[in-house]
Amino acid sequence: AFIKAQKAKPYFKRFQVKYKRRREGKTDYRARIRLINQDKNKYNTPKYRFVVRFSNKDIVAQITSASIAGDMVLAAAYSHELPRYGLEVGLTNYAAAYCTGLLLARRVLKMLEMDEEYQGNLESLGEDYSVEPADSRRPFRALLDVGLVRTTTGNRVFGALKGALDGGLDIPHSDKRFAGFSKDNKQLDAEVHRKYIFGGHVASYMRTLMEDEPEKYQSHFSEYIKRGIGPDNLEEVYKKIHAAILADPTAKKTEKEPPKQHKRFNLKKLTYDERKTKLIERLNALNSAASVDEDGDEDDE
Amino acid sequence: MPAGHGLRSRTRDLFARPFRKKGYIPLTTYLRTYRIGDYVDIKVNGAVHKGMPHKFYHGRTGSVWNVTKRAIGVEINKQVGNRIIRKRIHVRVEHVQPSRCNEEFRQRKLANDKLKAEAKARGEVISTKRQPQGPKPGFMVEGATLETVTPIPYDVVNDLKGGY
Repeated sequence: AFIKAQKAKPYFKRFQVKYKRRREGKTDYRARIRLINQDKNKYNTPKYRFVVRFSNKDIVAQITSASIAGDMVLAAAYSHELPRYGLEVGLTNYAAAYCTGLLLARRVLKMLEMDEEYQGNLESLGEDYSVEPADSRRPFRALLDVGLVRTTTGNRVFGALKGALDGGLDIPHSDKRFAGFSKDNKQLDAEVHRKYIFGGHVASYMRTLMEDEPEKYQSHFSEYIKRGIGPDNLEEVYKKIHAAILADPTAKKTEKEPPKQHKRFNLKKLTYDERKTKLIERLNALNSAASVDEDGDEDDE
Repeated sequence: MPAGHGLRSRTRDLFARPFRKKGYIPLTTYLRTYRIGDYVDIKVNGAVHKGMPHKFYHGRTGSVWNVTKRAIGVEINKQVGNRIIRKRIHVRVEHVQPSRCNEEFRQRKLANDKLKAEAKARGEVISTKRQPQGPKPGFMVEGATLETVTPIPYDVVNDLKGGY
């Protein structure tokens, strides 16, 4: 049957596209405006965002400030750097998010030479900890930017937030969304949160699987088993990694070879000057060919 | 009932957002910094309702005299009767753009400073004043052919077409 085209030319002529990053579904401009807006009477003072983003296999934590040319990243930490500190599996869980946040915080403080003053939370992890301002400098302040994630209690972005807080950054927060906050009690259960930070939830799942479905345990946690990580020593593994991070948080540049030149399948676009010179050459050639037949010169303009 | 003269009267088109530019406003407006003494243009952004100036100030240019948390104080000249008053208004940053009215002046200042410094190094005295464009130089007219134009005698028969 003939179906009339619904979206005709006037529809497209009047269509206003959303911003590119909105079309890609990557940026929430409502939130971004509110995060970036700096008081005008603070002039060029940067307002730092603690950006946490999750992909399927990686965690990205950055400290960013906005500028008209583009956002400037002060420091970044990725969970694919955690193998350097000894964690090779489970790179996107709550505990890994905590490690990444911690790594970023220590990295930034070391970069700004504030790491002696602000040691952060060294024991009693799990409780709500806020940085105390030291005598000489005020703590490094950043605002949490979750992106488009639904902020439910126990979300991994808050694991990264806790890592950054314990690392010594000043990020305004409340403990309402940390793992272990009970809505009935209206209180954060520090023990439960501590369990999550050290992968306790992963360990208890491991134990349940080992009892009920050992084959699934073998297939699901094969990488853990290969490295000899079981539900009992999971906590120690994370403790060691935290210590390693606190010891040396500096970023290491990876050696990359220069990108290889690919064969071009289409013509390279010419610049304005190149196009103008080409035109003049063509006109000259045309005129010289024409003046062979005719008398008199013609101008190139 | 008669037409009102409210604050935003007669601003249906003036404050309307341009075609296909509705919705969120680009973030550059929030990232710009303004210092006291800068020149700014006032251009109302109808999408932001707070801190809007009165429609009179739309399209005016003034200088910044105050900077607050979210707004700029701008000093604009307004003719009231037989005198011009300097009016000081506060406008949110969404309704303000940096003015390019003295951009050429500032660039010329920098260029002149450089020229003067170079001339001083050489020991010369130069004038960096702008000169107005003078009369065009004279030239000989080349390749002109003379064509004498004379009136043709009036021909009655040909000109009276169909009316005779």
